Amino acid sequence: MKDEGGRMNPESRPGWQRFIPHPSSFILFFLLLAGCDNNPNPPPLREKRDDGSRWLVRYGGMSEDPRSFDPQFAYDQMSRRVMEPVYDTLLEYHPLKTDPYEVRPGLLDAVPVKEVGADGKPSYLCRLKTTARFHDDECFPEGKGRPVVARDVRYAFQRLCDPKVESPFLANFSEYLPGLQAAHDAAEKSGRFDYDAPLAAIELIDERTFRIHLTQPYPQLIYWLAFQCTTPVAREAVEYYDGKKHGGVVRPDFHKFKAVGTGPFRIVEYVPRQRVRLERVEGYATTSFPTDGFAAEAPEWLMALAGKPLPLIDEMNFSIIRENLPIFILTRQGYLDAMGVNKDAFGAMVTPGREMSPKYRERGMRLEKDVEPSTFWISLNMRDPLLGQNKKLRQALSACYDSKTYSDIFWSSVAPVAEQLIPPGIPGHSREWRNPYGFDLEKAKRLIAEAGYPGGIDPQTGRPLEITMDMVSVGSEDRQRSEFEQRCFASIGVEVKIRQNTFARQLQREDTGDFQMSSGTGWGADYPDPENYFFLLYSKNVPPAGKNVTRFNNPEFDRLFEQMKTMETTPERLEIVRKMNTLIAEEVPQILNFHKAFYSAVQPWAPRTQNNLMLEGGVKFSVVDAALREQKRKEWNRKPLWPLAVLGGLLALAAVLGIRINRRRYV
Amino acid sequence: MFNYVIRRLLYSVPILLGVIALTFLLFNVLQTPEAAAAMAIGSKAPQQAREAWIKSRGLDRPKTEQFVKHVKNLATFQFGTSWKTGRELNEVFRQGAGPSLLITLPGFLAGLLGGVGLALYQVYVRKSLLDRSITLFAVALMSVPTVVYIFFLQAVGALMLNYFPASGFDWRGWETAKFVALPIIVMAIVNLGSDVRLYRTIFMEEINQDYVRTALAKGLSSGVVLGKHVLKNGLIALITLTVATLPRLIMGSLLIENFFGIPGLGNLLVMAIGTSDQPVVLACTYLGSLLYIGGLILTDVCYALADPRIRLS
Repeated sequence: MKDEGGRMNPESRPGWQRFIPHPSSFILFFLLLAGCDNNPNPPPLREKRDDGSRWLVRYGGMSEDPRSFDPQFAYDQMSRRVMEPVYDTLLEYHPLKTDPYEVRPGLLDAVPVKEVGADGKPSYLCRLKTTARFHDDECFPEGKGRPVVARDVRYAFQRLCDPKVESPFLANFSEYLPGLQAAHDAAEKSGRFDYDAPLAAIELIDERTFRIHLTQPYPQLIYWLAFQCTTPVAREAVEYYDGKKHGGVVRPDFHKFKAVGTGPFRIVEYVPRQRVRLERVEGYATTSFPTDGFAAEAPEWLMALAGKPLPLIDEMNFSIIRENLPIFILTRQGYLDAMGVNKDAFGAMVTPGREMSPKYRERGMRLEKDVEPSTFWISLNMRDPLLGQNKKLRQALSACYDSKTYSDIFWSSVAPVAEQLIPPGIPGHSREWRNPYGFDLEKAKRLIAEAGYPGGIDPQTGRPLEITMDMVSVGSEDRQRSEFEQRCFASIGVEVKIRQNTFARQLQREDTGDFQMSSGTGWGADYPDPENYFFLLYSKNVPPAGKNVTRFNNPEFDRLFEQMKTMETTPERLEIVRKMNTLIAEEVPQILNFHKAFYSAVQPWAPRTQNNLMLEGGVKFSVVDAALREQKRKEWNRKPLWPLAVLGGLLALAAVLGIRINRRRYV
Repeated sequence: MFNYVIRRLLYSVPILLGVIALTFLLFNVLQTPEAAAAMAIGSKAPQQAREAWIKSRGLDRPKTEQFVKHVKNLATFQFGTSWKTGRELNEVFRQGAGPSLLITLPGFLAGLLGGVGLALYQVYVRKSLLDRSITLFAVALMSVPTVVYIFFLQAVGALMLNYFPASGFDWRGWETAKFVALPIIVMAIVNLGSDVRLYRTIFMEEINQDYVRTALAKGLSSGVVLGKHVLKNGLIALITLTVATLPRLIMGSLLIENFFGIPGLGNLLVMAIGTSDQPVVLACTYLGSLLYIGGLILTDVCYALADPRIRLS
């Protein structure tokens, strides 16, 4: 095809051009993609249940990979989130009782009661439920799971002591449970743990009954029985899944990512950095939905769940998503059943009145507000010659710190100001309690003068008093936090210099005491007991042995701590807790900041059935209306075709323009 | 050429040793074993657990002993296990290379094709208003940070148009394409601006050569002259710019993989840096430098193969 001048018509395609995609192929590519589903979730494991009813799947997110599925080893939140539905614990947190938190039977048939033996030593008699069983797995004869027996519990406690397991929990028990530390030390010496030897702490009474012996009272043990580290594991499973090659096939390693659980779900798929999928275990009958603890205003559909067998869904899909924007998009499209309303999505989803924005309310979404049992503060180094010796100065620094504005700016006013170290929901937390050195600028100015630095001026140098504050700094928000904190202290004339650290470096400084003030320290409750907070200020817990970062050393506080730590929660104990609160409020080893809180946006088809933050998601209590989700997804994911037309038009225009312009020259 | 390649390979040994020493020093100076243990097993883990962790990984041994062992392991490609997840790194790398290549290779090719195509188009309409407009557009593209492209395309392609998943990855045959389409588009666009400007300059130099006039005088069409002769001669310059990149594609893209949830090696490195997972970072750095050196040698070889006038000695 040549024109009058004998030149090739640019619209024709010589041989070489056939190897280059034609512009129209791009449009075809986009059309094909547009025809694709934008759902990133995998298809459900099954379409229908055996009885023909709908297969119910929940879709959730995880911010990072789990570290292991070994209950005696994994301590991180993501591992616990996956293990919770897979391994039933001996006791478990009651999903509906959160103020204060309560435990209820899990694998045990009742919450054990403390008994005192003839030797005056306490113990707990425990009995396993007859329904408690391990999942079917090839590690058992004929692949059939067997009942959970008392020796499985002893085996779990033995694993805590085995140096090869590297359990981070041993230190929590070794002071209270006899024989654990000795078993660990013996194994370390011999290089092998003797699992056939008895363990003084766990006495086997019969197949289902065992007694936990203690060296001294430790009421917190009840909460540890609701932690995955004490959940029974089958010795057959640990020995079978050794991570070695057998008959040409490498078996998974129980210590890493193989679970043979006792809970309502089994792990069917874990793809690192992608997802974890759980499937309901047929025949599970160990726990059911509680029949008590419902709030007076609980809706009818929730009340109807009382006593129902668990779980209420068939499959759980956790997608591992680290970034905020995709979480927001996927929730908007209906591909995630709920999301934490992060800072990026806050403006879009929450009104200034802290309600769900009308746009999302119209979609049927609900806003759930949760306060985590955690407290965050600025640590003051009590061994620092300046801060440690000057109580008035510490009080002044605390009184000038505006935690409310901090929460407004960095937590969108969601996080409540911490008036005390113990967070809400934990016995000893008082709603009425007010920090005597909470934000009060006038008082702070008066206190700084009384501390010997009127107007913040150091009389020795005639210049503003200088204090260094360490903080983790990885992004612009951290810089903004440091600027805010500097401004607070500058309001009483104190010049705070910021030393920015990586997280590892900050930990190192806290461990070695190489700091004056350390910002961003916090503690999330391991169990709902004030001891779990006050031990952070106990003088025998100074790092690296413990977590008393402030190096607070007060004999009276220590005395009260030793007294209360082994007491049951009684009015007498609560009175001691009140005294301790008063003492630390006066001494100010920490500038209290906030209790972590967050909002969650929940889809209309996945209403919350529980709000217990000691649970890691409570998957087995979850419900879903899959038909409504399907309908909404269709509605929310329509694909407009006009952008493809625009793209095609632009390409055509470029071709026409090119040809027209080029006609005026030879090449 | 063989001698040249051998010599270059030998030169690379001290470079690699330097990289290994520097990264090893950085981690071991900036981070104590205690802090590493706290990062790996959690800051709540008691001292006893941290000490056990340090001992089991040999971090209590003298630094020189640790370094020698580290070099030996890297040289034999025994990367050990991740501190964070306990997974074997050789397996992790094997699994991560696929998703990375699935993005970087098509992204690179699409970027190259798009850049060359647009540059040739600019030469085709050169010195016109359209040509200048494309140059201006290219400069604008150059000025935009990668993260903005990612956010913009996620917002448009995933949120507004619902064409692609916003995040995620799965090996699902042809359906895998839907997971990588957006990342590939971002990958192709990220360097498009600078590439187009560079390629245009290369092609503009060629268009004024004598052989172009000769080809036209012989009656060849403008399409053939541009697409065959100009492109072919311009490719020699392009090789030096692009071949060095090829081996590194396996290491993936840090930002793109992270934001689109692609479980490739770039994503792995970002996570490892965030969690101070020393074995992963050290192994990735080592592999990255190895591939970079390989890329440079490959460039020299390709250059000599493409242009007979060049002899490697």
